[in-house]
Amino acid sequence: MALLEVHNLTKDFDGLRANDDISFTLDQGELVGLIGPNGAGKTTLFNCISGLHPVTSGRIVFDGQEITHLKPYEVARRGLGRTFQVYVASGDLTVEENVMVGCFMRTRSRTLANVRAREILADLKLSDLAGYLVSELPVSAQKRVTMATALGSDPKLLLLDEVAAGLNPSEIEEIMTIIKHIHDDLGVTVMLIEHVMELVMKVSHRVIVLDYGQKIAEGEPATVAKDPLVIKAYLGERYVREHGEKFK
Amino acid sequence: MEALRNALDFSDFPRIDLIVAGVVATFLVAFPLTPHSSFAMATMIQFLMFSLYGMGWNTIGGYGGQVDLGKAQYLGIGAFTTAVMLIRWDIPFWVSMPIGVALAVAWSFIIGYPLFRLTGHYFAIATIATSLVLKDIFEVWDFVGAARGLEISPIKYSPPDFLRLIFKEDIYYYYIILGFFFLGILYVNWFRKSRLGFQLRAIKDNEAVAQSLGINVHWAKIKTYAIATAFVSLVGSFHACYIKNIEPEDTMSLDLSILIALMAMLGGAGSLWGPIIGAGVLIPLKSYLKEWLGAKAGLVGMDLILYSLIIMVVSAAEPRGIWGIVEKIRRRKQA
Repeated sequence: MALLEVHNLTKDFDGLRANDDISFTLDQGELVGLIGPNGAGKTTLFNCISGLHPVTSGRIVFDGQEITHLKPYEVARRGLGRTFQVYVASGDLTVEENVMVGCFMRTRSRTLANVRAREILADLKLSDLAGYLVSELPVSAQKRVTMATALGSDPKLLLLDEVAAGLNPSEIEEIMTIIKHIHDDLGVTVMLIEHVMELVMKVSHRVIVLDYGQKIAEGEPATVAKDPLVIKAYLGERYVREHGEKFK
Repeated sequence: MEALRNALDFSDFPRIDLIVAGVVATFLVAFPLTPHSSFAMATMIQFLMFSLYGMGWNTIGGYGGQVDLGKAQYLGIGAFTTAVMLIRWDIPFWVSMPIGVALAVAWSFIIGYPLFRLTGHYFAIATIATSLVLKDIFEVWDFVGAARGLEISPIKYSPPDFLRLIFKEDIYYYYIILGFFFLGILYVNWFRKSRLGFQLRAIKDNEAVAQSLGINVHWAKIKTYAIATAFVSLVGSFHACYIKNIEPEDTMSLDLSILIALMAMLGGAGSLWGPIIGAGVLIPLKSYLKEWLGAKAGLVGMDLILYSLIIMVVSAAEPRGIWGIVEKIRRRKQA
């Protein structure tokens, strides 16, 4: 069953077309990667879906209901959660309090929010960090906290924006385990923007590729990796011309 | 029930804080029983009033990070509502105060709705503007006494009058405002742990993230602004009965708005004790310096320079004020 349907989504910024007529669907229970070179429009697409940017044209349907023109907090309340690439914490909230903010979306009670936050932190093996301010933590831990916070709001679909950027190989390994856990064990449908290919190609069932705001490919990771259009987008026209025979 | 339990639960503070708070609370309760000058009494009442203004400011300005420089307009609404109702219709404080709060909150909705579309400095400037406009209106509005203001004449009543809050001795005013002071602390203690309190702190951190967690940022700010307004208007009503002579020029002045904000920031915005510490430092300093320097010609205004200096020094050391410094030292000790 389709959980998210994006129909002909276009987003212009003052004449710059950041997303150009993009359509795709996500099924319940999928784990889909969204890749593309820098500036391809991946984060813009996430921002449009989550309601942060008003779309220029097109429709977004989530869980059977149109969410195209909803405010970001209304989209979130329907069960569409997300993380942000650059997370700037002013340092007022501890890790546990951060996750509680997410939990408060589903309950008014501080006690319930607190219990739920502790569960999530234990589940993601973050309990030891509960009392620290987010700003005191290294990047890898901050990324895990943003995922824990998003999980607090109990989403059906979670959009992850570059949760592995800037991490070392062992940290990437940890993040991958967490993403798989969120998807496999917690039953959350996941879409992730990622530049770290080892991660995205390994965990994704399916990959969507953007370049210059357009969807240029979609399919299984292995197939997409061999697609000349995708290689051209990443490595340039010349590379394809000179090494073209490899891909035939 | 959970709300009440949260209001009364201070267990997340270190023991030393609670001991200090207990000592201070005991002192505040016992103060009128000790020998004191009437000047000291007046200063203590001012301290309690400004602590409450600061607590109100702190909800939106501290926890929410929305710097509000227009609190005096709500003080004015509270003060004038109570004064007008008492003088014209002999309506007692306990009736006029909630009406004043309701009017102030209604006004805060009217200006908060468009103002919270603005962010950062624009919001701060806009709050100054609305406050000055309201003051100008009050200065030409005959119904509320225009620029002359209003005077509650104590001779008409037979003090102690607990309904109208008309007393001869300051000790009555002291204990009433002390009661509000303790209630204010309990309220903010609940607020900071409530859903709204958490949402506001998340908004201060990052509005986009807050929205992605289902928080209606605009509405959360408006609601909190109403809470801050209620605090200030309530004390404004008290101010009318206590001072008895109110003019727009001093109850609604920009100086007052800025003083409220500065005090809370000096003590520590976004913390429970911050506004109280700020008021505890600045109010005695301000009134004693004024008394001392006021007698010396040519030195008028020195008090303002001095407390500006203190604020500059403290905020250079730690933007989160005196309480921020305390917390910094504590964290360093832990590490």
